[in-house]
Amino acid sequence: MARFILMRLMHSIPLLIAIIALILLMLQLIPGDPVQAMVGDYPVSPAFREAITKQYHLDDPFPTRLLSYFTNLVQGDFGYSYQFQRPVLDLILTHAPRTILLTVTGFAFAIPVGILIGLISGTTPNRRTDHLVTTASLLVYAIPSFWLGQILVLGLSVKLGWFPTQGMQPMISRAQGFDWFLERVHYIALPALAFAVHEGTRFARIMRASVIDTLSQGYIMTARAKGLSRSSIIRKHVLRNSSLPLVTIAGYAFGTALGGAVLLETVFAWPGLGLLFVQAVRMRDNMTVVAVVIFAAIAIILINLIVDVLYALLDPRIRSRA
Amino acid sequence: MTDSAGAHQSRKVPSQLSDTAQSIWGTLRAIASTRHGATGGAILLLMVLIALLAPLIAPYDPQSLTPSSLAPPSWTNPMGTDSIGRDIFSLVIYGTQTSLTIGLGAALGALLLGGTVGMLAGYFGGIVDTVLMRIAELFQTLPVIILVLFTVAFFGSSFWLLITAVILAIWPIEARLVYGQYLRLRNMSFVDAARVADMSAAHIMLRELLPNAIQPVIVQVALDASVAILIEAGLGFLGLSDPNVVSWGQLLYDAQSYMTVAWWMSVFPGAAICLAVAGLNLFADGLNEVVDPRTRGRKGGLQ
Repeated sequence: MARFILMRLMHSIPLLIAIIALILLMLQLIPGDPVQAMVGDYPVSPAFREAITKQYHLDDPFPTRLLSYFTNLVQGDFGYSYQFQRPVLDLILTHAPRTILLTVTGFAFAIPVGILIGLISGTTPNRRTDHLVTTASLLVYAIPSFWLGQILVLGLSVKLGWFPTQGMQPMISRAQGFDWFLERVHYIALPALAFAVHEGTRFARIMRASVIDTLSQGYIMTARAKGLSRSSIIRKHVLRNSSLPLVTIAGYAFGTALGGAVLLETVFAWPGLGLLFVQAVRMRDNMTVVAVVIFAAIAIILINLIVDVLYALLDPRIRSRA
Repeated sequence: MTDSAGAHQSRKVPSQLSDTAQSIWGTLRAIASTRHGATGGAILLLMVLIALLAPLIAPYDPQSLTPSSLAPPSWTNPMGTDSIGRDIFSLVIYGTQTSLTIGLGAALGALLLGGTVGMLAGYFGGIVDTVLMRIAELFQTLPVIILVLFTVAFFGSSFWLLITAVILAIWPIEARLVYGQYLRLRNMSFVDAARVADMSAAHIMLRELLPNAIQPVIVQVALDASVAILIEAGLGFLGLSDPNVVSWGQLLYDAQSYMTVAWWMSVFPGAAICLAVAGLNLFADGLNEVVDPRTRGRKGGLQ
């Protein structure tokens, strides 16, 4: 197993380097004056231009700049964001936990609900129920989560006033202990719900397919032949065996979500990485943009690795093959 | 399931390029015989008609401004008007053109790029395989929305650039799928026979292998189209789509500032996006039933 992990890590490092090089190359190809883009619409003095050009080595050829970016990177230096007036690494480290919190909360609802719906629709002897559930989850899955967010805000926050419309916490909060927790729950409820509805319906579809696959296996027939009850077959055989592929797919989706909750975070002004990315792109804060992309890539690579290892540990059939 | 679908499952040795077209046509007919496929197909057909006949259906010029701004839905404006007095119904009708073009353009582009890469990598193997599939992996390691947002924000939000960006973000899935198909097929005896008959690699890839590999690929094309429509809507929603083109996502962006006073600005364009995406997903679902025999009919259920 250690060899497997090592091999995968060795495979990932050139991939990560290539991604960073690709992004930096794309930044290089952007038309326009980088110094002007950095300050916005204000006039640029020659002295400032010279200082910036020197500081960022804008005159150096691309390979030299690439090398210096990597040299800084391995020292943990992601550069400095002039727009946010903070080191980029600092920005990433404050925003990432918020995105992780939102994603984990969303998944905590989406996975059990998806498993339950998929299990019901896959095992029900009633064709009608299955058709109804399958079609309904397909239709709900078609709702873009950012629009669902907008509609939830419109209905539950604006019209009914049950939830705050935006943000992660009130401007000023004096709540402590359990009240503080409830206050946070209040803020995360809608974005997490919008996220969970979309992912949950997707998980339900995957789970149903997986359940149907499991039901055709020989061990289910054996279980029935030895007289196990329907509920104990579902609990002991179907649920466990069918959940495994879902957990894998949920794991991959988790990696993607860490860098990709851009639209949802924008709707709810949730101050995570997605919102940071949009702001950075709008302000042409290149250092931050590159850093978020790197973070997203690392998250995806690492989580995919963890999922593969877990899968191998959980399923003896795969362990022996590896 | 009908017999015609069964016939298309069986492998055949095609000798003419038209076999690919025939295979696609047969698949389409089989999809229409599934419940989800027929519903999805009907929705898509309706949307294509709306897009083509937009000038006849839309009661107003979508860009014409009127003094009646933020008017709620009524007989004169079935979906209300926006903040500068444009008729939402007409905007939604014209938005169909944009979304369908993006969906179709990006899906076909991804098919062409991903298909070619997958075909070459799967057929030739070796160093070609390694290089091409590593490049595909590179693009797959970035979240789609981040890649597209990055491209459009920095290089400009023209309509064609947006399609290109979406293609760049989604082609690896198509490439992997075609790659898998070619890997599976390339050692089959009918391919060996073609090699012995001294046919060119291009001939074998396009005329021998393609008709046998095309079916699961079409499922992915439909899913790609729905992803492309969602991405375009998302970019419009961030205010980054082409300002010269009417699009549903852009209408949602405009709606954001008027959420409290004009719900119709958000509800109708959003519903249009849902309908288009649902149509494509239903269609892909029907297609999947045709292509993957395991999902055909209903196998599940435990008494």
